[in-house]
Amino acid sequence: MRRSVLLSVLLALLVAGTGLFANGTTETPASSGPVTIQVFYPVAVDAPIAQILNGYVTQFEQANPGIVVKPVFSGGYTDVKTAIQTTIQGGGKPPALAVMLATDLYDLINAGYIEPLDPYLAKMKDSSSYLSDFYSSFMDNSRYNNKIWSVPFQRSAVVLYYNKDLFAQNGLSAPNSWASLATDAQKLTVRNGSDVSRWGILWSTVGLPYWLFQPLAIGAGKNVVGPSDTEVYFNTPECISAINYYNSLSHTYNATPPGAQDTWGVSPGDFASGRAAMIVHSTGSLAGILKQAKFNVGVMAVPGKQPGTYASVPGGGNLYILKDAPQAQKDAAFKFIQFLTEPDRVADFSIKTGYIAARKSAYSTKAMTDYIAKVPQAAETRNALQYAGKELSVQDLAKVRDIFQNYLQQAFNGKLSADVAMQKAQTEADAALKEFK
Amino acid sequence: MQRSKNSSNLQPVAEAGPGGPGVSVGGTKSKFQILPYLLVLPTLFFVALFTIWPTISSFVGSFFLQKLNIAKYREPSFAGLANYASLFQDSTFYHVLGNTAFYVIGSVPVSIALGFLFALLINRRMRGIGLARLALFHPTVLPMVSVATIWLFMFTPDYGLFNSALSFLGYRGPENWTGNPDLALIAIIIVAVWKNAGYYMIFYLAGMQSLPREVYEAARLDGSGPINTTVRITLPLLRRTTLFVTTIAFIGAFQTVDHVFVLTVGGPSNASNILLFYLWQIRFENLNVGKASALTIVLIIVLLVFTVSNFLISERRSGNE
Repeated sequence: MRRSVLLSVLLALLVAGTGLFANGTTETPASSGPVTIQVFYPVAVDAPIAQILNGYVTQFEQANPGIVVKPVFSGGYTDVKTAIQTTIQGGGKPPALAVMLATDLYDLINAGYIEPLDPYLAKMKDSSSYLSDFYSSFMDNSRYNNKIWSVPFQRSAVVLYYNKDLFAQNGLSAPNSWASLATDAQKLTVRNGSDVSRWGILWSTVGLPYWLFQPLAIGAGKNVVGPSDTEVYFNTPECISAINYYNSLSHTYNATPPGAQDTWGVSPGDFASGRAAMIVHSTGSLAGILKQAKFNVGVMAVPGKQPGTYASVPGGGNLYILKDAPQAQKDAAFKFIQFLTEPDRVADFSIKTGYIAARKSAYSTKAMTDYIAKVPQAAETRNALQYAGKELSVQDLAKVRDIFQNYLQQAFNGKLSADVAMQKAQTEADAALKEFK
Repeated sequence: MQRSKNSSNLQPVAEAGPGGPGVSVGGTKSKFQILPYLLVLPTLFFVALFTIWPTISSFVGSFFLQKLNIAKYREPSFAGLANYASLFQDSTFYHVLGNTAFYVIGSVPVSIALGFLFALLINRRMRGIGLARLALFHPTVLPMVSVATIWLFMFTPDYGLFNSALSFLGYRGPENWTGNPDLALIAIIIVAVWKNAGYYMIFYLAGMQSLPREVYEAARLDGSGPINTTVRITLPLLRRTTLFVTTIAFIGAFQTVDHVFVLTVGGPSNASNILLFYLWQIRFENLNVGKASALTIVLIIVLLVFTVSNFLISERRSGNE
């Protein structure tokens, strides 16, 4: 009997123990001969990212015979961050270069994983024109304490997709305010009895609701985050009116299903097949939608509260150099960063993946102008950027974001009024951020 | 006590034979033998490396304050019971504990009962039974992530397969399974039951096929009907299987979170957040190493209490026979 108890103890320990404590270590070869760098790379969109990046690596290695680049594709953004964390915690050497979320900036600095790029930029011939060529709404997530910590790479933004053919058939023009967006969505909703065969608009609010919600707050006149890394603005009248507007799309206009909606995965397909007249989604879905849709696809920034105002919010990943990698590898990594962000390559990457080209000059390359002549929507995704506010990024991001999303969904689901929910969110977020002031 | 009972459940061979470690056979004092120790050494090594060491290290870590995303708490500093205090003051923790209890109670008995029922149904010789067995078993073979991805599309509001099937059966309730806070956890349970019932079925099927035929013949001669036979004969004879299945099902329920990642990410508003997913969030999203260690210890204690009491209860029952 004692033995059975002992066995069961071991069994329980085994189960609880394994999996929770994976200690990954990465061996880096001794630095004799060519420098070998690893690049940790997330695959977050429906595009042959691995194949595209491997092509760039081959070109880079031909141009730089002393450097070998080994891309490591390990799941999504979270997996890349987790892999780097466990490597460093386990005492191993991190890769020299990684693509991680632009919003992870503060967490990565505080954990001591990344280092500023200023010393590398200083060695460039003309670093200020290099930096100013990136869209400023992307660079917002790269600056902290007067230092540059990352270079924008695979970037996206929230946009409104609308079915131009349906708009034309119903004598509607593209919405330019909250009011026209709601009435258009109402007119384009088609019901057969109690069943809905076409929704006016689908706007996902499960998964990462803060991201698709931010254009509403920005459109109302005040973003939920400002330049400070320790302040959020959840309980403002603007943010509360944004929630009430979202709820009115279902309750007043019956143009979208009520409550928090888990339509992130299905809405691009629903839009392309005509089951939704409009969706709010990432620019990253453009390629997939254009491939499927048999109608004229319109792309624009999300209309704001006042007529003629618009809003968007950027997203996606930046290139970071990891502090604990050997210096020779870090130098090589910066070379690879420069190579990846050459205008021609940025244009090529944008055309092949659907990400927004992060540099302005990429849009004047021949490949890009030819592409935009064929696919004008690609230019619209970039135009949306001029209305973009900063993506939610503060200290202790995961916690603050969880707090915000928790109360946001309670307000969407009618568990709390928008007012009460945002007061609570603000109080809890302030408490979490107090530590950093 | 050492050789009092021949009834260790999962490992019938665990009872030491001649020359077992430290056991004297037949009263004569045997010489110390190195071989048995050598044989268990590899297992011991891996258990120590992957089970005992992490347990000790998280036990120790649970007394240290360490938050990787706050520069001043980056290096661990001794904090006594602060992590436990922060855990037990955390309203989300209690919410998640409640969800976990609901999830375990909702998924374990149902999948075991279904597993038993399936085993009864397919424990017979007839044409095409292989196909039926395959159909019931195949969810087990699929990785949980694929299962959850498939179900994500089945749960789609309006035209999802699950909703279409339910509305065919007359269901007219809410359809937004993963977005509705009242349904999200149930959606998670449905996927877990679908995935696991076939796995438990295999154990019951193996158990049923090894039961003695004579007992059933005797029962038939005595005029026992199929329900009576199942309840009075099959179920009691499969008690050992039930114990085993209950243990792995319970532990498995704490262990699987893949479907939560894919289907709901713990939401909406933590409505489908369960213990291991919360642990992951604290460790890898909030980067709070100390609190995550404290939560790990809580998880280990919950599992230990269940597993030990499960064995004790079953031992006592077999002792009463």
